[in-house]
Order: sequence, then C-alpha cells, then structure tokens
Amino acid sequence: MIVDDELDFLETIVKRLKRRKVDATGIDSGTKALELLEQEHFDVVILDVRMPGMDGIETLKEMKKKRPLLEVIMLTGHASIESGMQGMQYGAFDYVMKPADIDDLLEKIQGAYERKALHEEKVRETKVI
Amino acid sequence: MREFQYFARNLYWYSATILTAGLFAALWLIQETAFAAAALGITFLSFVSNRALTRRVEKASEQKRHLDQQLIQSQKLAAIGELSSGIAHEINNPLAIIGQETEWIWHLLKKDSLPSPEADQELRGSLQEIVRQVDRCKEITHKLLDFARKKEPLIQKADLNKLIEDMARLVEKEATQNKIRIVRDYQQDLPRVETDPPLLRQVVLNLLNNAAHAVEKDGTITISTQESANNTVELVFRDTGCGISKEHLDKIFDPFFTTKPTGKGTGLGLSISHGIITRLGGRISVVSEVGKGATFTIELPVKPLRGEP
Amino acid sequence: MPSSAKVLIVDDEERFRITLRKLLTANGLETNAVGSGREAIEELKQQPYDVILLDVKMPEMDGIEALAELKKISKNVEVIILTGHASVDVAVEIMRLGGYEYLLKPCPMDELLAKIESAYERKTARDERLRKAEATPTNPSS
Repeated sequence: MIVDDELDFLETIVKRLKRRKVDATGIDSGTKALELLEQEHFDVVILDVRMPGMDGIETLKEMKKKRPLLEVIMLTGHASIESGMQGMQYGAFDYVMKPADIDDLLEKIQGAYERKALHEEKVRETKVI
Repeated sequence: MREFQYFARNLYWYSATILTAGLFAALWLIQETAFAAAALGITFLSFVSNRALTRRVEKASEQKRHLDQQLIQSQKLAAIGELSSGIAHEINNPLAIIGQETEWIWHLLKKDSLPSPEADQELRGSLQEIVRQVDRCKEITHKLLDFARKKEPLIQKADLNKLIEDMARLVEKEATQNKIRIVRDYQQDLPRVETDPPLLRQVVLNLLNNAAHAVEKDGTITISTQESANNTVELVFRDTGCGISKEHLDKIFDPFFTTKPTGKGTGLGLSISHGIITRLGGRISVVSEVGKGATFTIELPVKPLRGEP
Repeated sequence: MPSSAKVLIVDDEERFRITLRKLLTANGLETNAVGSGREAIEELKQQPYDVILLDVKMPEMDGIEALAELKKISKNVEVIILTGHASVDVAVEIMRLGGYEYLLKPCPMDELLAKIESAYERKTARDERLRKAEATPTNPSS
C-alpha cells in the first residue's frame, strides 16, 4: 500500500511498482489507509510523512497498533532529523527521500517483506511452544 | 568446570594417600616397622588434611558465590535507584509547571466572572503550556518503555554503507542549512552484516543527530566504515563539535544523562543506542576532548552468534 | 500579606519562573526571576532581596552551592530551597548554610506564600536587630 496525498506522485509510483510486478494500491489519506487495512491484507506500507489531516507519524502509530507485523517505509520530502527519529522509534522499517528512486524503493520493499516473513516465523515458533 | 576442579583436587590427594599407603605396605613387607609406622602416620594425616582442606575450599567458594550474587544484586539495585531518580526528576519538572499553570488559571478565573481579553489570552497560554508539558511527560514515558522493552533483534543481512548513507541523507538537508558538511569514507567492499537494520538505523540517526547538535554551525561530520580483525566491521562517527569533558565521558551512556538544557532531550538516546548495539553482539565506544569534537565507534560482528542476549 | 517583600526566583525552567512570577506578583509581591545560580549572584549584588526561591537542581551551579554564595553576599537574605525530593542530608546542609527551609516541588500556592511570609518576617526581625546594633555607639578600645 502506498499512502500519499500528492496524487500525481501516488499514481506514478503505483504504476511503476505494478510494472515491476509489485501488487500495489494507492491511497491518498491516513484515515482511508487505516480503513483499507481492516478490509484487505497488506505486507508493506509506504507512507508519506507530511499529510493533511492524519499525518504520517500518527498513521504509523495506528497502523502498528492494528497490524504489529506490518512493515512501514516512511516517505519524506522534507527530510527532518526529528521526524526520522520519531518514525524509527515508532517502528518504521526505513526511510526513503523524495523523489524516490524506483530501484532503491524496490530494494527497501524487499527488505521490509523479508523482515515481515522472519517476524511471522518467529511468532509461529513461539506459538507452538 | 567446578566439578573438574573438585575432581582434580581430590585426585591429587587420593593418589598421595595411595602412594603413601603403598609405601607403608612395602616397608612393612621389608619389616622396617619404624618406617612402616611413619608411613601409616603420614597416610592417616593426609586423609584427614585432605578432607579438612577440601571442606575449607568448598566453603570459600560458596562464600564467594554468595558475595558475587550480592554484588550483582546491589549493582542492579543501584542502577534501578539511579534510573528511578532520573525518571522522577524528569517527570517532576513538567508536573511542577502543570501545577503552577493550573494555579494561575484558578487565579484568573477568580478575578472576573467573564475573563477580560488579556485574561483570556493568559488562560489559553496556560492551557497550551499544560498540553506541552503533558506531551513532554508522554515522550519521557514512551522512551522509557522503549528503553525497557528491549526489542529482540530480528536478524537480516544488511549493506551497512547503504544503511548509513540513507540515514546520512535524511540528516544532510537540515545539516547543510547550518553549514555542517557530512563527509563519507566508506570501505567499498564492506561485507554484508547480519544485524537488525531498523534498530541499527535508530542508532545511526541518534549518533548523527548528536553530532549535528554538538557542531551547531560550521563544522564537519565524518562517517567511515571499514572491516577490521576478527570478522568485525567498524563504523566511525567523528564530529568537529564542542567535545565531551572527561567527567561526562564516563556517564555518557547512562540513562537520563544529558548536557542539553532542561526540557530539551530526554538523555535516553545514547543509552538506548548502547543497549541496541550490545544486543546486536557489538560494542560502542567514544573518544573525545573538550573543544576537539567527539568520535563514536561502533564495532559489529559480521555474523553474530545466534542466541546472543 | 506584607506586600513590600521583594522576592527573587531562581530556576532553570523558563516557563516555571515566568508563571511563578506572575502568581507572586498577583499576590502583591515585588518579584524578579533569573535562570541560574550565577545570574542570581549577579542580581543580588545589584539590588537587595528579602526572600530568594532557589531551585536545588540546576545545570552548572547547583542550588546548595548557590545558597552558600548568596549568603556570602547578603547575610540576612532568606533563601527557600525548592526541591523535587526531600532528604535529611540535604535538609541538614541547607540549615548549616543558613537557608530558611525547603519546599517540595510541585508546591501549592498557599503553602509557598505562607513560607515566603514567615521568611520575610524573620528577615525583618533580623534587619531590625542589626540596625539597632549598628546604632548603639561602640566604645573604642584605645
């Protein structure tokens, strides 16, 4: 899932990811993203930090509450140290700066996906015990 | 290990005893009664002293174990005591402010039934301050819980140069505004390291953030990576900031230790970073002199042992 | 409430001293505020104060050190220590250095005002005695 209020950017990214065979869905607000999370399954979320209404960090916190195993990659145009530290503290996997290089983004998505799988395996292991 | 020591010690005495007994038997056969009696005496004595000695050694070991345990316990309690007083002080300041703002609000409300525009401004100001202080407390408790939670590292292979570079770019925009240069000196063929990438990102951001604060304006932060002996990777963060004094160096990784003015920074960043690096099987150290900047070095094993605490 | 008491607030938390100053002024006390022990010493050198409210934990110079220094400048000034924590050792030290008393932070206004008042009373009594002592002619030991 990609969450960004900049519609042009959103469309471009979704298209490019789809071309690289990534099952991508674009959403333009934090609140809508949370709603969608309830209905559909997602492995990785790419989340813009600055959005009107519910901002990136708030959305990140809520997402992690609902789906703790979901991996989130923060997207930032403004690159502030403060938001970076906040994001990492609240459990973001990584940060990408806009404009986003598609190969870089794909690599990060791969890493996030791998992490989710590892995490799920760990949870399964502890459940069996 | 202890069992082996015990066994070895006993073996010595038993063999001494047996040899003496053998000597006694041999002498008896040769009918050297006097020597035989002496040998018997020695045998008897060695048995007795063996038992006595072993018992004393055991008792001493037992006492040492007790003392060690007590020392660890009192160290733990001392650490908890320090941590608690740090927390209490950090939370108490915001509480004092909140208490005072509410007193002021009461005062303003007592004067007029309808607050004058100035009083209205004051009321809003006080309420805003209360919200600010509550947020401050929230940050402290959250960071504390973070600190206490000790997230188990989830190991993935990571390209550290890329990881650091990503974080450096995040810091760079703000840094260049303050004329702070970030210089990279990455070893090109750095081996991929088995580590927990998001946790490591937190540490890197923390160090870069601290470096930027120390430099303030017009300075350099140099990041270098290199492989070193024993399958380890070294990450070095050097800044040309104000440096750290000798007295502070000892406490720099302590929770709540901060040289920032009150209300800015909780002083937990470095202690959290230290905890993370330790859990990743590595070491973090610092070298610094006042006025000469600071150098933080992280050493990480390329392949940490599984099941590392 | 003897409104002529002059009070100096010493605390490193800006908002704390701003609001405290507003509160004390609203209760008729002439109040000033500074942010560190060093500033307090400079301020006391410039003008006299009756009561000083001194935060015990401050960066650079802590409250106890500041107390000693302030008493050197003005023997009769009454210093009330504000602390987040009370301990017997600290209390004894405060007494030894001539501090008036300590108060726990956060502190309700009425308690603080009462303490300031009694400290001020003690000071005026001491000032009186000192004035009388100076007025009495001393016999020169020739």
